[in-house]
Amino acid sequence: MKIKRRDFLKVSAAAGAVAVIGGPSLNAFAQTTAPKKKAMGEAAGEWIPSTCQGCTTWCPIEIFVQEGRAVKVRGNQLSKANGGYVCVRGHLLLQQTYDPDRIKTPMKRTNPQKGRGIDPKFVPISWDEAVDTIADKLIELRRNNETHKYLLMRGRYSDHNTILYDNLTKMLGSPNNISHSSICAEVEKMGRFFTEGFWGYSDYDLDKMKYLITWACDPLSSNRQIPNAVTKFQRLLSEGTVVAIDPRMSNTAAKAHEWMPIKPATDGALGVAMAHVILTEGLWNKEFVGDFKDGKNKFRKGREVKEEDFNEKHSYGLVKWWNLELKDKDAAWAAKETGLDRNQIERVARGFAKAAPNCAIWFGPNMQPRGTYSALAMHALNGLVGATDNEGGLVTGMSAPSSSYPKFDAYQDDLAKAGAKNKKIDQRGYKTFPNLASGRPGSGVSANNVANAILAEDPYDIKVAIGYFVNYNFSTMETGRWDKAMAKVPFFVHVVPMVSEMTQFADIVLPSALHHTEDWAIVRSKANLYGHISIQQPVVERMFDVRGAETEFVWLLAEKLRDKGFPNVYDWLHNEYKDPETGKKPTDGLEFAIYATKIRSQKAWDPAENKDYKGDKPSGWEDFRKKGVVNSPRFEFRKKWGTPEEGNFPTATKKFEFYSETLKKALTEHAEKHNTTVDDILTVTNYEARGEKAFVPHYETQLRHGSRTEYPFDLVDMKSRLNREGRSANLTWYHAFKKCDPGDVNFDDVVQINPADAQKLGIKDGDMVKVTSVVGSLTVRARLWEGIRPGTAAKCYGQGHWAYGSVGTKDYAKFEPRGANFNEIMVDDYDRLSGSSARNGGFTGVKITKV
Amino acid sequence: MAKYGMVIDLLKCAGCGACGVGCKTQNNTDDAHDGQTFNWADFCEKIEGKYPNAKYTMYPTLCNHCSDSPCIGACPVSPTAMYKSENGITLHNEERCIGCGMCQQACPYSSNMDDDKAARYSVISMNSHDAEPHARYRNPNELIKGITTSGAEIAKKAGRTPPHRTMHAHPDYNSVRAKEKAEKCIFCEHLVASGQNPYCTQVCPSQARVFGDLDDKNSAVSKLLAENRNSVVVLADNKGKTAKPGSGTQPNVFYIRSFSARK
Ligand code: SF4
Ligand code: SF4
Ligand code: SF4
Ligand code: SF4
Ligand code: SF4
Ligand code: SF4
Ligand code: SF4
Repeated sequence: MKIKRRDFLKVSAAAGAVAVIGGPSLNAFAQTTAPKKKAMGEAAGEWIPSTCQGCTTWCPIEIFVQEGRAVKVRGNQLSKANGGYVCVRGHLLLQQTYDPDRIKTPMKRTNPQKGRGIDPKFVPISWDEAVDTIADKLIELRRNNETHKYLLMRGRYSDHNTILYDNLTKMLGSPNNISHSSICAEVEKMGRFFTEGFWGYSDYDLDKMKYLITWACDPLSSNRQIPNAVTKFQRLLSEGTVVAIDPRMSNTAAKAHEWMPIKPATDGALGVAMAHVILTEGLWNKEFVGDFKDGKNKFRKGREVKEEDFNEKHSYGLVKWWNLELKDKDAAWAAKETGLDRNQIERVARGFAKAAPNCAIWFGPNMQPRGTYSALAMHALNGLVGATDNEGGLVTGMSAPSSSYPKFDAYQDDLAKAGAKNKKIDQRGYKTFPNLASGRPGSGVSANNVANAILAEDPYDIKVAIGYFVNYNFSTMETGRWDKAMAKVPFFVHVVPMVSEMTQFADIVLPSALHHTEDWAIVRSKANLYGHISIQQPVVERMFDVRGAETEFVWLLAEKLRDKGFPNVYDWLHNEYKDPETGKKPTDGLEFAIYATKIRSQKAWDPAENKDYKGDKPSGWEDFRKKGVVNSPRFEFRKKWGTPEEGNFPTATKKFEFYSETLKKALTEHAEKHNTTVDDILTVTNYEARGEKAFVPHYETQLRHGSRTEYPFDLVDMKSRLNREGRSANLTWYHAFKKCDPGDVNFDDVVQINPADAQKLGIKDGDMVKVTSVVGSLTVRARLWEGIRPGTAAKCYGQGHWAYGSVGTKDYAKFEPRGANFNEIMVDDYDRLSGSSARNGGFTGVKITKV
Repeated sequence: MAKYGMVIDLLKCAGCGACGVGCKTQNNTDDAHDGQTFNWADFCEKIEGKYPNAKYTMYPTLCNHCSDSPCIGACPVSPTAMYKSENGITLHNEERCIGCGMCQQACPYSSNMDDDKAARYSVISMNSHDAEPHARYRNPNELIKGITTSGAEIAKKAGRTPPHRTMHAHPDYNSVRAKEKAEKCIFCEHLVASGQNPYCTQVCPSQARVFGDLDDKNSAVSKLLAENRNSVVVLADNKGKTAKPGSGTQPNVFYIRSFSARK
């Protein structure tokens, strides 16, 4: 006898009472099986350390393995960066490992036609055939003396990227190792570099902090130390003050004491006004910045100050900054620009400065045209209150020991040397691309410009390209350009665990091992005032013939190149990558991967090398493997301050620069290279400042694509706390908890708009709407949400895949996307001083209509 | 004997979702289908007021292990499949369950999400009568023929369905529940019995979830409740309504302090 639930409920409703139904017959049915005695508890298993790279935090983790299967994830219990916790995304890596749509074999395309929506008609091939074909293409480049037409595109990577991304590219004779970094997070570094000479991301002393301002980022869900932020925020929320500056109510904004829903791209105005308040009210940190010689505050609105009246200590150019930018820009002025409340601006500026130096502005990517100057304004505030490099403030952070990779130079032949000297494909260093990374003109990457360069064949065309763990046809702005560019590249190899949009343009696809569960590598990162070096090692047996992209693939390629008469790569790997314990040379790809991992981490685990180290000291390689992580000693504050006589900041003046001599030097160098003036460079790169103003943090107005009348909404690009970068959409757990992104909903993709705006447009919650920018339109569901500034529309990155798995894509056979990828309608533009792509600051105007 | 309960500190909680996904990895719950969420740990979001003063609250939810639990009263079999354990946990015996769904109807925190659009979550989920659980990992379809794997294949290669199934044993329930059964949060009794915390508590990065014995005055949960007498609430339904402790079904999951630090 079997009772269907639905039928049963019908009966129950008719009878009107449960008791009637719970009659004897059912009980008799239920009791036919007698209860058995069973043990209680979890089956045995082992926690094996590895490293998660679901985002840029790069957490040491442990994976619980039962019966050889990965079943649970936690933070490495020894990690000082995450205290033994992973963020929500960490757990998702299980579904990524066991994704039903993973690639299990190499393949090649049989349809020569390439384009979005064109089926490549892939057929399986062997690793041997695949790598043989690739080697042929590379040998052909060598034969034709055009090795520079080889392009390597790097996405997520480990330390071993040195082998595939850097060294191999040079060995093959190309300058074109292109990193993805500038498409989502490089402007942030400009803020620190051109004030205090630090090209990198900050760490924070959350335990001692009293006042935290999160600005243009949401540390509870992203930006580089999520588990630590989630763990440590509670104390700040109970005992200190948290302020969140963001046009949308992010997770941090939802919890903060104050939310400042700023008008997009007006951050610079708020920054300089806060500095104005702090200076006029005498609240700057005298110990760091210094004081007026007579002790009397001469910063008064509208009044110039004489430089000789101020005695500056660890900083440089404060008075210049005041005179050039700050003197007139008070809170009342900023209130008009930013759409914020004047009192709130003053209250926050005061609160922040009074907590000094135990305070910080934790600022985010600033990826907007002209973003360099808002990032500078944000970090200048950290200097003004003496919070930088200070207890309770923000710091450069620690790193953990690592050994160098073996050198390749001796194996690089003349042909390769000459080829590698060519200009890079991304046009960095062109007059319109100063790309001042680390202060060196033409050194930063402009990843998103590679598509333009390929299409224009300027500086030249690309003939052979390899991309690994990268998906520019989804992750870049104005994505359609990449569809055209990749269709133009005659030979493209994609080394990936999953088929994605970019794969559709591949001639050969190689299935790569997943970094967290199947591969050998070393990853280093920092958080919570500690640095770490952490291992990635196979925690489960590979289910398919997948290989490590950065190591095993290179080995196979080296063998093939050797067989075809170019032995240099093989010789380099075979001779130099010896097992540091036994001195044995690698004989296959896997051995090579393991030796490379040992070599890179040797300083951390080899007792001969770590005996004087003040951080963790494993007793050897096996011990390191078992523990998985080596933590550095704790960060020591104020090392960079130096003395007032002799600063220790790596800037042009050795001081913290409010007037950036460092930027002046870099910009001048770039201008001279192009035989022109700095002002001319600023003009062609779309900045507003001219003259001296270009060297101080200042307010630049929004550069916007689309007129306000036609495209009234500022588009805000938000990140999901569930995004394993762009790779979560095929994971069902992502969709089951999507509402953990405030304002978003489960199992759908939405654009968030304020109910007041929606009402004017006749849009109801759940309506489908068409969102149009100057480059295109997309249709998506509208979510009416009080947590978004009127006049802005927020859309989360991550969905809208047209070729990413059976869940991520609505209909893979038809390349029909699930949701909408707003990258497609964001304009291809740059913060040109850094070369970074714009994706923030509402630089793309949109109109929204009901469909 | 203990009376287990949980206190969730909303100020500590970041609404991050780790407990929700963590529970899925521990208890191997299915993907949502047929109006059932299969999220034993889930979320109830609430927004009050208007921009820019809107206040957002995220309540992490789970079975309330109510002292007066109507899910048990509604259960038509005898002895009831849904029953109160001596330690206060509302347990579910899989074998006796006939999948009738009466418990889901009776529980004020449970709904068929297809029918009850206002519901934010459902404590009880009902397994399908027709299909085995974890259909995705039983599906033999390959996205690209001969090139990508399939749910069925990868589960077979890994050796279990779902492949990341955490194996554990309990006299009342299996680590994956069969079709035609109800299922819900059982306070991870298989972990609690060996002295571990429930898994959602273990994985919470802010340590917002405290599990313990409500009858023991010195337990962490009792102390938290005493210290936070003024702010403590329980959920009154699965739509975000709150009530004073002791009301309604007398839930034993309590929420203290406020999600937002804003006044
Ligand atoms: S996703 Fe990022 S923060 Fe989360 S566990 Fe992985 S590395 Fe850490
Ligand atoms: S979108 Fe993801 S893959 Fe691309 S640059 Fe940013 S972090 Fe890297
Ligand atoms: S955009 Fe993504 S990778 Fe970049 S900082 Fe934010 S969370 Fe990290
Ligand atoms: S894991 Fe903890 S912090 Fe995250 S949502 Fe759950 S209770 Fe809140
Ligand atoms: S929450 Fe629902 S299922 Fe849980 S004990 Fe209470 S009534 Fe029963
Ligand atoms: S579904 Fe199972 S537990 Fe629920 S009322 Fe019916 S028999 Fe009882
Ligand atoms: S107590 Fe266990 S079963 Fe219940 S929600 Fe937490 S993890 Fe899930």
